[in-house]
Amino acid sequence: MTAAIQFVIDVLSLGGAYALMALGLVIVYGILRLVNFAYGELIMVAGYSLYLLDGSPLPWLVMAAVAVLAAIATGILTDYVAFRPVRAKSVTAVLITSFAFSTLLQNAALLFISPRPRNVPVPDVFSDTVQIAGAITPVRNVLTIVAAAAMLSIFALVMKRTMLGIAMRAAATQFTMARMLGVPANLVISTAFAISGLMAGVVALFWLGRSGTVVPGIGLEPLLVAFIATVIGGMRSLQGAVLGGFVLAFIDTGLNYSLPQNLLQFRDAFTFSLVILILLWRPEGLMRGPASGQRT
Amino acid sequence: MLERRTWLTLLLLLLPIALLVLAVEQLGVRVLERIAINLCISLALVVGLQVFMGNSGILSFAHIGFMGVGAYASAVFSIPARMKGMALPDLYGVVAGLELSPYLAIALGGLVAAAVAALVSYPLMRLSDAAAVITSFALLVVLHTIMLHWSQVTNGPRTLFGLPKVTDLHLAAATAAGAVVLAVLFKESRTGVLLRASRDDETAAAAIGAGIPQLRWRAFVLSALIAGVAGGLWGHFITSFSPKAFYLKETFVVLGMLVIGGTSTVSGAVFGCFLVTFAFEGLRSVESALNRAQIFTEQVVGLTEVALALAMIGILILRPGGLFATTEIGAVWPFRSIPTKGAARPAPSTSTRKASS
Amino acid sequence: MLEVSDLEVRYGAIRAVRGVSLSVAEGELAVLLGANGAGKSSTLKAIAGALRPARGRITLDGAEVPYGWPERMVRLGAAMVPETREVFPDLTVAENLRLGAFTRRADPAGVAADHARVVELFPVLGERTGQPAGTLSGGEQQMLVIARALMSRPRLLLLDEPSLGLAPAIIERIFAMIAELKRTGLTILLVEQNAAQALAIADHAFVMRLGEVAASGPAAEIRAATDLKALYLGG
Repeated sequence: MTAAIQFVIDVLSLGGAYALMALGLVIVYGILRLVNFAYGELIMVAGYSLYLLDGSPLPWLVMAAVAVLAAIATGILTDYVAFRPVRAKSVTAVLITSFAFSTLLQNAALLFISPRPRNVPVPDVFSDTVQIAGAITPVRNVLTIVAAAAMLSIFALVMKRTMLGIAMRAAATQFTMARMLGVPANLVISTAFAISGLMAGVVALFWLGRSGTVVPGIGLEPLLVAFIATVIGGMRSLQGAVLGGFVLAFIDTGLNYSLPQNLLQFRDAFTFSLVILILLWRPEGLMRGPASGQRT
Repeated sequence: MLERRTWLTLLLLLLPIALLVLAVEQLGVRVLERIAINLCISLALVVGLQVFMGNSGILSFAHIGFMGVGAYASAVFSIPARMKGMALPDLYGVVAGLELSPYLAIALGGLVAAAVAALVSYPLMRLSDAAAVITSFALLVVLHTIMLHWSQVTNGPRTLFGLPKVTDLHLAAATAAGAVVLAVLFKESRTGVLLRASRDDETAAAAIGAGIPQLRWRAFVLSALIAGVAGGLWGHFITSFSPKAFYLKETFVVLGMLVIGGTSTVSGAVFGCFLVTFAFEGLRSVESALNRAQIFTEQVVGLTEVALALAMIGILILRPGGLFATTEIGAVWPFRSIPTKGAARPAPSTSTRKASS
Repeated sequence: MLEVSDLEVRYGAIRAVRGVSLSVAEGELAVLLGANGAGKSSTLKAIAGALRPARGRITLDGAEVPYGWPERMVRLGAAMVPETREVFPDLTVAENLRLGAFTRRADPAGVAADHARVVELFPVLGERTGQPAGTLSGGEQQMLVIARALMSRPRLLLLDEPSLGLAPAIIERIFAMIAELKRTGLTILLVEQNAAQALAIADHAFVMRLGEVAASGPAAEIRAATDLKALYLGG
């Protein structure tokens, strides 16, 4: 029984983080039909912001807020550097420019900070443990679940109720028509990137909290998570991204629990094989996105 | 039979390779030979990538992963049996005593890569374009993870050594030439033509229907075969390597060569490779000169990647199709001009469905 | 109210619209007729800002309209309904309408009043208010997009082939509503292939052929003109 509770908590906390991560990716993809390869680097930026603020007299929450703001700013910057100049050219062009931008950011960190891992300030409460129904788990996991639930709810509310949310959902299906109704294209796009940065920033706080360090390549794993969760969930569906995140977390945690020790290092290969099976069954992902005549 | 301009393309693309070999042999400088061999291997790689990306229109990140598969597979077959005990102490009994001719091993490496690609990739070929791209990225990571941890076969994250050095300039050049020929022939084959036709037009794609995944799959497997052979070739040149040689940095470079040269054409792949290789060598010497002169307090590293990244972004802004965007070099003459002044363009739009050719 | 002079629209080397000039007076219902490929839709799209013309001048109430920014047209009081309709299929009818009033979102009372007004005009939208717009029939969707365009309180309505793909009975109702809208004082520029019905409600007509305005005049005159069919079939 305790193991089951432990499993559920692990899946929920990991799934929450994965869901937020995937959502940040799909938000941009849904509106622009463009994949942001520099998305993982937003976590890197947040991490290095925390590192640079380390040792200052600021309370951790303020440092965290700054880190998230840095991620948001970098997200919007990505639009200006890697997307806007080539958006009208072709889909492939943007994939490559964002990949190039990602390399640029990583190498910048490499050059100007260090290739070695750097410590990131983590609040003590993260490593405290708490007991829930017999299972012992770090407080960090509980906080992740709470934060994810809060952000997902706020996000859903904004998308459904506010004019901006409706405008963004409209722009995701018929961008030009939305503009013809007066929706400013640039505002919608920048907002999408900002939300993307917000998601990455929040996920960064918990992701970095696990290891306590940051390296230039730290963005790769979360990027991969976002990619896979999005593909499983359905490339253009916001709900699909969330679902995909939890499914992926379920698979990962399940494999963590069940693989024998010597195969554990290949966990990613097993995850990927299962993902391929899911894709064999449902190439468009688990949830269908907004209707569109186009091949996505 | 092939059209005349295809013959001309073949000729014009094989020419630089031949000239390279001649020049290096005349000059007789060892450093140049090393650069030339690396260039030929890169050429095979880039052309192999072009086979898939150029014809299907889908960006693939997995290519270098298959290079690694080929390298390691060929290593297992060709490392002398007596060395295997040291190089791969835990290697499975069935192959531990095996020692094949390195040339055969390289070919087998290519076949193993193709087999892996054939097995794994079919479900991926049914995905939508963006999903296919990001899944190919995941595939690269997974291949890398396997190479990193399957110590029995790869020696894990440690360096694998003991490969006989059989790759010389002639072999590398011949392989590169072979890759170019394969790529051009594939492009003009029924599969290639159908694939390219379906790439740009949705309605046509729907009409061709269920055939598209098969077509893509064929291109992907051929692409992996070439990558695997290139991997084996490289392994037998450098004689020792580790999994980190088959990951993001190399992917970025190969992609850069193809993008700058032009994804849709074999000419683009060839010239992109030559251009970037020469530029890289130039930048590397600048980097080491800077380091020797100690202008910066720390070692300058990553300059070449930054430059390549900027070049890629620049090309994509100025000439999104690359240098050889649509026409192969054999078809460049006679010129046809299309008026472009005052053309109607949609109001600044954000997504264009056309692929970049 | 709307003045277009010497408009030229090109797709690559092809000149779809060559030197078109037309004007629509306030309160008028003008119709742009012509066969397929005559350049009618391209003209309308250029006016709406969805296409960037190669040359030409468009003024609304004397003020020059900048090219290529659809957002601005709405703010200047022109609303466009494209031939592809383009409802937002996953948004509900109510959300579609609400988005139509995007430019007036600072005035929620006014928006609510307009919402009530369009529902009065098109009762079926009231019935289906919570349904995803993608589930509506063709005719209902056409009504929705016209209603949505009205939500911005435009002074000029641009309609691109509203009868496209609809059953004859529905087409009659749509045209009746367009006539009704004209009676409320709205200026309308209508692009249509369905010449007979359009001319029945229009004040003025322009007939386009191969990118040029081949004939123009009061609707009654154009309707009586014998060479209409010839122009239509490109003879």
